[in-house]
Amino acid sequence: MDGFSGTLRLTDLNDFMAPAQECIKPVTINRIPEKGRSIKITASGDYSEVDAKGQEKKLEKAAITLSDCLACSGCVTSAETVLIQQQSVDELLRVIRENLEVPADQRRIIVASVSLQSVASLARRYRLTMRQCQQKVSGYLRSLGVDRIYDLSAASALALTESQREFVDRARRNDPGSLPMLASACPGWICYAEKTHGSWVLPYINTTKSPQQIQGALIKKYLSRADHQNPGKYYHATLMMCYDKKLEASREDFYDDVLRSREVDCVVTSLEMEQMLEKKGVLLDQVCSSDFDLLPGLSTEFYNSGGGAGGYLENILRHAARELFQYEVGPVEYKTIRNQDFRETTVTINGELKLYFAAAYGFRNIQNIVQKLKRSKCPYGFVEIMACPSACLNGGGQIRAPDAAEAKVWLQDVQELFDSLEKTDAGSNIPWLDGLYRTLRDDPSTEPSKLLHTQYHSLENKGTALNIKW
Amino acid sequence: MSVASRKGLDNSNPLVYESVSQRELTEAEQNDDVVDKFDGREVFDMIRRINDPEHPLTLEELNVVQIDHCEVDDDKNRVVVYYTPTIPHCSMATLIGLAIRVKLLRSLPERFKVDVRIYEGSHVSEAAVNKQLSDKERVAAALENDHLLNVINQCLTIHKK
Amino acid sequence: MASLDLVQSLHGHDDRAWSVKWNPAGTILASCGSDTKIILWMEEGGKWSAKVTLTNAHQRTVRTVAWSPTGTYLASCSFDKTICIWKRDETGAFDSIATLEGHENEVKCVAWSISGEYLASCSRDKTVWIWTCEYDDEYDCLSVLHSHTQDVKKLCWSPSEDILVSCSYDNTIKLFKDDGDDWTCVETLSGHTSTVWSVGFDHSGNRLVSCSDDQTIKIWQRLGGEGDGNFGAQGWQCVCTLGGFHDRTIFDVDWNRKNGAIASAGADDSIKIFEEDLDVRDSLREPSFRLSFSVPRAHSQDVNAVSWNPVRPNLLASCSDDGSIKIWNYTQEAR
Repeated sequence: MDGFSGTLRLTDLNDFMAPAQECIKPVTINRIPEKGRSIKITASGDYSEVDAKGQEKKLEKAAITLSDCLACSGCVTSAETVLIQQQSVDELLRVIRENLEVPADQRRIIVASVSLQSVASLARRYRLTMRQCQQKVSGYLRSLGVDRIYDLSAASALALTESQREFVDRARRNDPGSLPMLASACPGWICYAEKTHGSWVLPYINTTKSPQQIQGALIKKYLSRADHQNPGKYYHATLMMCYDKKLEASREDFYDDVLRSREVDCVVTSLEMEQMLEKKGVLLDQVCSSDFDLLPGLSTEFYNSGGGAGGYLENILRHAARELFQYEVGPVEYKTIRNQDFRETTVTINGELKLYFAAAYGFRNIQNIVQKLKRSKCPYGFVEIMACPSACLNGGGQIRAPDAAEAKVWLQDVQELFDSLEKTDAGSNIPWLDGLYRTLRDDPSTEPSKLLHTQYHSLENKGTALNIKW
Repeated sequence: MSVASRKGLDNSNPLVYESVSQRELTEAEQNDDVVDKFDGREVFDMIRRINDPEHPLTLEELNVVQIDHCEVDDDKNRVVVYYTPTIPHCSMATLIGLAIRVKLLRSLPERFKVDVRIYEGSHVSEAAVNKQLSDKERVAAALENDHLLNVINQCLTIHKK
Repeated sequence: MASLDLVQSLHGHDDRAWSVKWNPAGTILASCGSDTKIILWMEEGGKWSAKVTLTNAHQRTVRTVAWSPTGTYLASCSFDKTICIWKRDETGAFDSIATLEGHENEVKCVAWSISGEYLASCSRDKTVWIWTCEYDDEYDCLSVLHSHTQDVKKLCWSPSEDILVSCSYDNTIKLFKDDGDDWTCVETLSGHTSTVWSVGFDHSGNRLVSCSDDQTIKIWQRLGGEGDGNFGAQGWQCVCTLGGFHDRTIFDVDWNRKNGAIASAGADDSIKIFEEDLDVRDSLREPSFRLSFSVPRAHSQDVNAVSWNPVRPNLLASCSDDGSIKIWNYTQEAR
């Protein structure tokens, strides 16, 4: 299916059967068994239950949820189809519309979190600067009915500082099987790792959540506390650069049973945003501008250093050098190995190699890392693994150049736009972060580690023998 | 799909399993005094008692295979079997086809070229299923899969009723 | 009169034999099959026999074997999803030096590029992988190509440059080239109406022969500029279709690089040899091929592969579902 990363598509082996025929997941419908009941099929094809007295009750259709889909490794294709239906611009608009029809005191608070990669993509498309684009996107979303619009940099900063901590921790303990640490922000990579390689590779993956999910936790827990509102009152949509993020948002791990709410309710891609604008005949550069909102405690916006993949390699490198070797790393220099999407960097102190990191984007490079790791020949301390070639700025949900021949130049433009913002290193002099940590730590409802960290699960094939694909 | 009454399942008589090889001997006996040529009837006899993967009924009982849909040209060493899945969307179609193919592979002399195809118009993915069944590399790889082989063998086990 | 005579019948496989390949020196014939064995046949005193048997490298059917351009390495690929690299040592024995993993299911074919720099593999997982070798046992994945929409059956490298051709269950043939940063599909050839089982280049690298489940053999001509790396405006075109010769799936074709004869093998148990009629008006766009010789019952079951000896162009090897390997001697019609 279009838009999903190459790694995700590869793990599917769909021969030719449509989703309806594929699904072998047994569905449980809650019913109290009672004598004297029978099932009747009406002319319209609905099922209704007739009880002993002859009274009919229409039965709800048993539907497979996306989470059911993901948990069973029967067929990813069906998951993708269900996904598109459950998380789309139409769904977001429907939620907003229904929200407005409800009395004001019962309304939900609609929140949108916008990724910088999406802003860069839209900025290139509509020929705006990053700043202008942010304001236009914000203005447009507000005009649709979104109540709050936030940037993801705070969540990114948290992701980066937690990752830094985790790396230094692993490096100090030096347990077997803890290094190299592999990045965790890319759901395409995570799905591939869980499905294809399973339990042996999972311990290497950074347990820190991705910025999208940390933002979800911030909105539902941190923001709700600051607003003195029930977490369930918030509907959180994100504007992201890939479809894989939709799968990430649907993971069981990011669903709170107690609150019965998801950290992220809906993911919309840059491409879908553009399609919506086109459909409505709206020119983004002519929309009213408005500013982004700021999370409580934040007085100003800031942007994290590092590339479009999230800045993990650079920030962890700097922090590790500082913490472990009391060494300040200057501008990070890369050495290209084999191709542009596979680069290495080192920190050498007094002639001794201290840190050896790599960035590997795209399936072919992931292959090399994983196979080397399997044979215990992976020399790196940390690998920034991303499923898409050229990483997130070239995500599957980003807007494409109108002419395929211009794709390279288009991507360069997007890169330049992304780099044009003034960036700071994660965790450096942002007092707000300390305050945030304290608040999260003091939160009795959940442990901060659960808020900021996650787990991975090896997906065994739960399909029955009847459904084996050959 | 017209499913015969399931009373057979509740039969208090235990099911008796007959081995496939025994069955072949019986056929040979019957054909002793006839020229050793295969015909549709022979081929039908080989596959009629294959079980459906999901229900305790044979392909003959479900009308998935019929004697008229088994074509044999002994001189040209060709066998073509058309089978009719019970419903047009049957998701077990390839599995049933595979079971038929395997049974014929094990029962017919090596000289025969066998084609197993969906009876025209009886399945939505007819062309795709036919292509898959006729690709011997796919079939060979499938049969190296233990789980799948178990399911196939179960389909091919004859249950005495 | 042309003829294809049986030189010798070789028995060593316990189950179907899937592939046969001559080494570049034409002195060793490698065969592999469902019994998971790889057998190396060599001639001594005019008789061929199994000199080396390689076992235990693969857990399932070994589908294809391929020799490196120098003949020092042998690659084997299997339904067990792996590729095994063997190296020949001074004593003539072959040792397994590397196992390449990564494909999601059965690996169907493996082939070395003429430069020896690349190894390509293809699989039922619809992908074509390009590998390169750092040290003897360190193979790195250079590219994973998702162009085909179904199983990829066979691969073949051009004899003159690093261009790869693949054919698939999706009925198409694709050509791949390195564009600087990554390998890409530069052309897709459509025309066959069913699975394309095999494809191969002629001696010049400007023509392709393909065979299919649709029971035809097609000849494709490169019409763009020669040797400039680009295929020009017209690219490749099908210039000849040979139909009505095989009445079942054709599994393999091989174009003799010395004498231009094309051998085909199929599910009708036959092996056929085709020769080109050079006496035509436009041999580029409308070549003509005729059946030179046919052996209707070359084997007692499906013939899976044919391979011309690269040094002794009259020798042809074939293998079959019946487990046997046969060596044939082809005599061309006197012209």
